[in-house]
Amino acid sequence: MILSWPTIILEISSLGIGLLLLILGLVFTSLKSKATLGYFSIIALLLMLVGSFYLPSGATQTFINNFYVQDSLALFFKQLFIVSALLVNTMALRYMKPHTNNRGDFFALTFFALTGMMMMASAAEFITLYIGLELMTFTFVLLTAYKKHDLKSGEAGLKYILLSAVSSGVLLYGFSLLYGLTGALDFSSLVALFAPTSSPLLVWAIVMVLAGLGFKIALVPFHMWTPDVYEGAPTPITAFLAVGSKAAGFVAFIRVFFQVFAVYSPIFMPLLIALTVLTLLIGNLIALAQTHLKRLLAYSSIAHAGYILLGVIAYSKLGLSAILFYLLLYMFANIGAFAAVAALVINTGQDKISDLAGLWKSSPFTSVVLLVSLLSLAGIPPTAGFIGKFYLFTELVSRGYLWLAFVAVGMSLVAIYYYLVVIRTFLSGSVAEKTSMTIPFSLKLVMLVSVVMTIGIGVFPGPFTDYLLKVAQAFLG
Amino acid sequence: MINEYGIIGIFLLGGIAFTLVCLVLSWLLSPHKRSVVKESTYECGLETSGVTWVQFKIQYFLYALVFVAFDVETVFLFPWAVAFNCLGMFAFAEMLVFVVILVLGLWYMWKEGALEWN
Repeated sequence: MILSWPTIILEISSLGIGLLLLILGLVFTSLKSKATLGYFSIIALLLMLVGSFYLPSGATQTFINNFYVQDSLALFFKQLFIVSALLVNTMALRYMKPHTNNRGDFFALTFFALTGMMMMASAAEFITLYIGLELMTFTFVLLTAYKKHDLKSGEAGLKYILLSAVSSGVLLYGFSLLYGLTGALDFSSLVALFAPTSSPLLVWAIVMVLAGLGFKIALVPFHMWTPDVYEGAPTPITAFLAVGSKAAGFVAFIRVFFQVFAVYSPIFMPLLIALTVLTLLIGNLIALAQTHLKRLLAYSSIAHAGYILLGVIAYSKLGLSAILFYLLLYMFANIGAFAAVAALVINTGQDKISDLAGLWKSSPFTSVVLLVSLLSLAGIPPTAGFIGKFYLFTELVSRGYLWLAFVAVGMSLVAIYYYLVVIRTFLSGSVAEKTSMTIPFSLKLVMLVSVVMTIGIGVFPGPFTDYLLKVAQAFLG
Repeated sequence: MINEYGIIGIFLLGGIAFTLVCLVLSWLLSPHKRSVVKESTYECGLETSGVTWVQFKIQYFLYALVFVAFDVETVFLFPWAVAFNCLGMFAFAEMLVFVVILVLGLWYMWKEGALEWN
């Protein structure tokens, strides 16, 4: 048994920094020194991000017996998680201050969540995958319920832990059936053992795994938790859930459905198509009726899970690279939008869409950020969202799913409507005497980065799509 | 294969039948006399006084959590201790890391005042 430690250097450092932050939170007793924890976490994440670019990206390395792999797909997702954690922690610096004043565990928890996500990106065996998933989920439950005296936050945490317990049960049932049928749990052995013919029990196992992972990416009909948890959680954590948790769900989804169940794609594909259509319809149509910005973004994140799944349905190298590209731009657009919500909540304590009226006058910068982010989520050029949707839909059409592309485009038009309603609200300054908003510097920085990246990827998508196509080719071989 | 499952099936059916027979027999054989005492909530035991929706101390829950964590630690420690001689330095270091992380958790609880009963 050979353990190659350098392959898990990112996980070790993430866990180590998390534990260190926990210790520092105990050692630092004064409020002033506790406030430095956030800055420390940001510096650590920056170092991790820079270091991750020096890791070998081409070759596939395994930590132990093919159970834990570090390939270019895993590395891309780990970098994605680090960037999202970086933006979220920066967003939380000021936003969480009233709640982190006398508690030192917030930033430690975000590192533990990050470790769980990284484990999900690299796991090549079902038990490791499950442990990563639970590490991430439990930490997110704690973070969701972090506002101790806020009933909504507590309710969201309770809902999240109960529903994710159910989904974990379903997922584990699927894993145990797979183990019972084949006697193996690691992906490479399973692929070798699977025959093109299938038993009803195996189909049932695949359905169970689909349901369990579908919960994490908020696939209809496993999406019920999303709006309530997104609404109740502190805004930076909502952003982390919408971006990090979803991307972690997708990397597991990609590994399991592109790699392990590849032989059975004719069996699960009709089911996946049905769920995707359902996700696109329900996510977009219910979003029309929302009055709260966070709930609107929750339904839009459900709908985006549907768009991203179109790449899985395309089931090709280009489809996979389109998924990765979409996740990248979705991260920046979503974090931009949630940062704008955070700015609104800091100043007014509200997140109703009607409260946005007059934002154009009170804070032009926030308005521009929200405008660009929502346009990107709607898929309007020159933002990155347009390129992402274009890339996904063309690959879908070239694989022969013209009708599905029509459904997706139709639902995108519905989406444009509800995003435009929000944009119209804050551009029409009906409230003239609104005082100007004060936005902390850290939040401004997050907004700036997300806007620059959203427009930057939209105008120069070339380098990103080239790199991600290489990642997809390396993964699918 | 089928035979082995068959045995389990017979066992299952036998178990269900046994339970049903016991219930039906006791229902048939027992005398059916109604009385005030039998209709009460607890045939033996005290009636509750006041509302039953009382709050329990959250400390019970925290203690239970700590207990579970260290219980599981023991579960891992026993096989490790039994096989200690043939496992070598690596397993020792690994167990040390595991225990240190758990102790860190305990320290955290202690410092945050979770062990104080008030």
